[in-house]
Amino acid sequence: MKKSLSILLFGAALFGNVNTASAQAGYPFIHDPSTLVECDGKWFTFGTGGGGLISEDGWHWDMKAERPGGGAAPDAIKIGDRYLVVYGATGGGLNGGHSGRILTMWNKNLDPKHPDFKYTTAIEVASSDGMEDCDAIDPGILLDPNTGRMWVSYGTYWGNIRLIELDPKTGERVKGNKALDIAIDCEATDLIYKDGWYYLLGTHGTCCDGVNSTYNIVCGRSKQVTGPYLDNMGRDMKAGGGRMVVAAGDRVNGAGHFGRTVLDEGVEVASLHWEADLDQSGRSVLGIRPLLWKNGWPYCGERLKEGTYAIISERRGYSLELTVDFVRMNVQRVGGGFGRNVDPNAPVVKIPYQTLDEVKSVWPKEDIIDVRCSDYMMRPHQAWTITAVPEAGGYLSNPYFKISINGTDRVLAANDKKEVSTTEKYTGADNQLWRIEQLTDGTYRIMPKAIPGIPGINKEYVIYTTSDSNVALCKYDFNSDNSKWNLKKFE
Amino acid sequence: MRNRLTKLLVALALTSTANAQNPIIRNQFTADPTARVFNGRVYLFPSHDIPAPEDYARKDWFCMADYHMFSSNDLVDWTDNGVIVSQEQVPWGNPKGYSMWAPDCIQHNGKYYFYFPDGAKPQEGRRGGGFGIGVAIADNLFGRGGGQLFKVQEKPVAGIGGIDPCVLQASNGKNYIFWGMGGLQGAELGEDMMSIVEGTTVRFNNLPGEGLKEGPFAFEYNGNYYLTYPSVFKNGETEQLDYAMSKNPLGPYEYKGTIMQKHQSGCWTNHHSIIQFKDQWYLFYHHNDYSPKFDKNRSACIDSLFFNADGTIREVKATKRGVGISDARKPVQIDRYSNIGGGASIEYHDTTDYFKGWYTKFPKTGSWVTYNKVDPKSSMAKNVCMKVRTKAAATMKLQLGKYVATLNIPSTNGIWKEINVATATAIPSGVSDLKLSVVKTTAPIEIDWLSLSENPRMVYFNRVQSTAAAAKPDANGFIRRWMLLEPIVKPNRSNTIYTNTYLRSHFYKKYFDNQLSIMPTDGQEVVAKPQDENGIDGEQKLKWHAVESTLFNTKLFRFSSWLEKTEYGVMFWGVTVIDCPQEIKNVRLSAGSNGASMWWLDGKEILLLEGDRRMVQDDGNSGLLTLKKGRNVLRFAVVNGPGMSDLCARFVDENGKPVTNFNITLK
Repeated sequence: MKKSLSILLFGAALFGNVNTASAQAGYPFIHDPSTLVECDGKWFTFGTGGGGLISEDGWHWDMKAERPGGGAAPDAIKIGDRYLVVYGATGGGLNGGHSGRILTMWNKNLDPKHPDFKYTTAIEVASSDGMEDCDAIDPGILLDPNTGRMWVSYGTYWGNIRLIELDPKTGERVKGNKALDIAIDCEATDLIYKDGWYYLLGTHGTCCDGVNSTYNIVCGRSKQVTGPYLDNMGRDMKAGGGRMVVAAGDRVNGAGHFGRTVLDEGVEVASLHWEADLDQSGRSVLGIRPLLWKNGWPYCGERLKEGTYAIISERRGYSLELTVDFVRMNVQRVGGGFGRNVDPNAPVVKIPYQTLDEVKSVWPKEDIIDVRCSDYMMRPHQAWTITAVPEAGGYLSNPYFKISINGTDRVLAANDKKEVSTTEKYTGADNQLWRIEQLTDGTYRIMPKAIPGIPGINKEYVIYTTSDSNVALCKYDFNSDNSKWNLKKFE
Repeated sequence: MRNRLTKLLVALALTSTANAQNPIIRNQFTADPTARVFNGRVYLFPSHDIPAPEDYARKDWFCMADYHMFSSNDLVDWTDNGVIVSQEQVPWGNPKGYSMWAPDCIQHNGKYYFYFPDGAKPQEGRRGGGFGIGVAIADNLFGRGGGQLFKVQEKPVAGIGGIDPCVLQASNGKNYIFWGMGGLQGAELGEDMMSIVEGTTVRFNNLPGEGLKEGPFAFEYNGNYYLTYPSVFKNGETEQLDYAMSKNPLGPYEYKGTIMQKHQSGCWTNHHSIIQFKDQWYLFYHHNDYSPKFDKNRSACIDSLFFNADGTIREVKATKRGVGISDARKPVQIDRYSNIGGGASIEYHDTTDYFKGWYTKFPKTGSWVTYNKVDPKSSMAKNVCMKVRTKAAATMKLQLGKYVATLNIPSTNGIWKEINVATATAIPSGVSDLKLSVVKTTAPIEIDWLSLSENPRMVYFNRVQSTAAAAKPDANGFIRRWMLLEPIVKPNRSNTIYTNTYLRSHFYKKYFDNQLSIMPTDGQEVVAKPQDENGIDGEQKLKWHAVESTLFNTKLFRFSSWLEKTEYGVMFWGVTVIDCPQEIKNVRLSAGSNGASMWWLDGKEILLLEGDRRMVQDDGNSGLLTLKKGRNVLRFAVVNGPGMSDLCARFVDENGKPVTNFNITLK
């Protein structure tokens, strides 16, 4: 039985829709994606060699972005009502050698179809002479939220990673700023800030070797933007230190060129490329993973996989379930006296789970059945099957999902009273589609794609515990455990 | 040996030579340079002079066995795209003829036609086979992995007995071929591009000059056809470049004058091509800069060429500076000056190896050179790095357009040193002419090159004198003092092969005598010998150097750069002595390396770092060791393909704390 199931799953992996696998949908082919930026409701990322990707919803990507200048590993940031793009260009010769230049340019709009789309002339902000211990390419930008100062880290394995300061008004190098060496032994770096710490993320391992590429992203942190950046062992990144943020797994390998996007308080994603996607001929693809934080260190969460889950509230630890009669399992309690009067030599039998067929008959024969929270007991009315609906689009990190009671067509749906209930038949309507995102603390928020009576795509309301036992649709609040859920493999 | 290295270089996606000054190619001879522009990139097809090999009897004659192609986007950075045709590949040619004279290449109907002279195969009963013009055809100039793209055709161009082909693609839609043999000749080229149209052959006999005319280069510009050629104008003299003009591709041509005078050095030949690239015309020619005593080993040069309003050509003066803008972040070879005065002169670094180039000697106050068109690129440069040799402190003046800086040059005690000299104000970016002059000195100043950069150049190693006191590990326990062997050249295009099995077999191959027991002295030489096909690149004479790293890590890559040795595709060996005042128990060697490494203590293997490694502190360590009282010999080997070779090593105790209570000697 188990064997045939795994064969079946293997078959599904071979012949199934590859776009529901590890990578973003559409044509997400890129190397060294810049940090995601939003412009007029669309997402943009630029890659090595020019060009880049555009997405309307964050899930489906097309190779339609434009960036002149060629060169390597750009980064981008929105400052005021303009976008600053920074990239590295190598010098002469086919190889380029190690004489690189870091250039910045502005654009008012990143959409090539928009009338305001026009890059300013790129200006140089740093360079390497081809012989010194630095290769001035691969820039990453940080706009320091504390000071408003802008920093760029750049460099490759070929020597040191350097830090310079730019003027966020002009994109030019701050006068008199001297480049600082802050790391060795990595490339495609990026700087981020969180809760009093500056983090330097670098790409380690071997680049550009397809399915054999060991590329991975590591980080160190510092109280000062100028370093020293130390890893969890206290080892300086100038001595090769670095704590793992993301590496291979889930049919992709070679994580490179980190970028962090904060979508909401406690909702962060990491953008990166996978050197090879085993489901897409080993091509280099855009990857977007939830970015989580533990003890002051960032790490990437897993892609949410289809499967059957218990949905457990962070508030109380109760499970989301159908509001139906609790059906007792008809198993005699063995022995009395709190289990002490048991014959220790009596044979042990395995008790099967309660099945859907055993309880279905007592469930109301109605279209709508409400949901509530209660003790998790591994019962059929607590078994939620989460299935991707890629044709419904998605958001950064995942396609929309349908959430159904395992073994039935009954799905979770938002209603016009800002409540959550279930309906007997899945229709694919937007109020039956769910956006599930892992939060920085590892819990999830679950929000309907749309709520009847509220126009547009929902970006505010989540399934929210209003008491230990009740849920409704309320505004997301990272600081309240009412907004948070844990997904536990159902068993 | 050379051949294997060449293969490696081609595999590494082609080497880039430095800034274009004359000569433009600095690691091999390049004569008769034919330049062509295809798809916005300049391609250079020179003859390839080599020293006569053993099987070639005429040691004092020209010797050419193959053709390289070079290319550039800017006439400044040139890439060697490798060998495109060699004499063994020519079906009708003499595989030992060494007669691959001046070639040409054109683009026609989506294909590339490469025309080249070769000596025909000696035939039974006849002495020599004479010369023919071969054709090799390619669909593309580059293949994946540097593969051979030009396919040499079975037969030479019928109807031509000669050398030095040049193809003119005329605006009348026809193609013409010119060549030399007993004077200059030309003919219409057949539609197959591999034959001549019968009855069209013309001999250009009316051109003045008493001696040899050869190497024709014909082109069309502004309604005129130009036939340009090297000519011995007066018997007994050497070649100058002359030209004639006509309204028709095959003449009659009217002599107009000289494009370039005879070389002053006495280099007997000159041979050239003329192209327009990005709105400027250029003359490519050759001179024997890298072989001053043997003018049959020549090197390609470029200078700008200008037309007069009537279509005639202004005479071109051969310069050392050549063409293009020099990126001043990289070393600017001021010995390739535009002008020189006040007694300044240039000298070869090494008269046994002229490819090591030149330096500029400023003998006294008032000596100067100018070098036009440099661009510091960055506007943040406040540092002049120079490689200097002088015995007294001096003051120099650097001018870049209107910018002036005073440079205080310290004495280098008569040895070559890279020094960093700060300027008071930032050097502006943009193209300007550079002038360097001596304001005050009491001793000659010799300068190899200078560069303008934001950051001072690092010093990575100091030499350790044999009388030096023992060193201690640094505060974190890192061992910085080593006896390092110059890198063994062991070509390898990738680091993906360093599996345990590969490394175990390759670290234990024998490269030189006593490699696991030798305790060398500073300057001692060893000879590394290849043991098998997968070994090292030929027999190599290598020196040991006693050094101290200025950093916690020992940057082997920079050890190579410092000594001007091979940097990639190499193996390093090093050894040091851990001298303990008393026995230290329960320690581990903790090391990191770029790339893979193996470590031995007193001849016993203690650590292997495998795979494509980067240099990370405490990347791997040994099992528990005992450092005995007295000498403990620590030895390593690092192997690397394309990477910045590096290592760090220290001893740590059982809790990972550094061990520092020992001395480091090299005895």
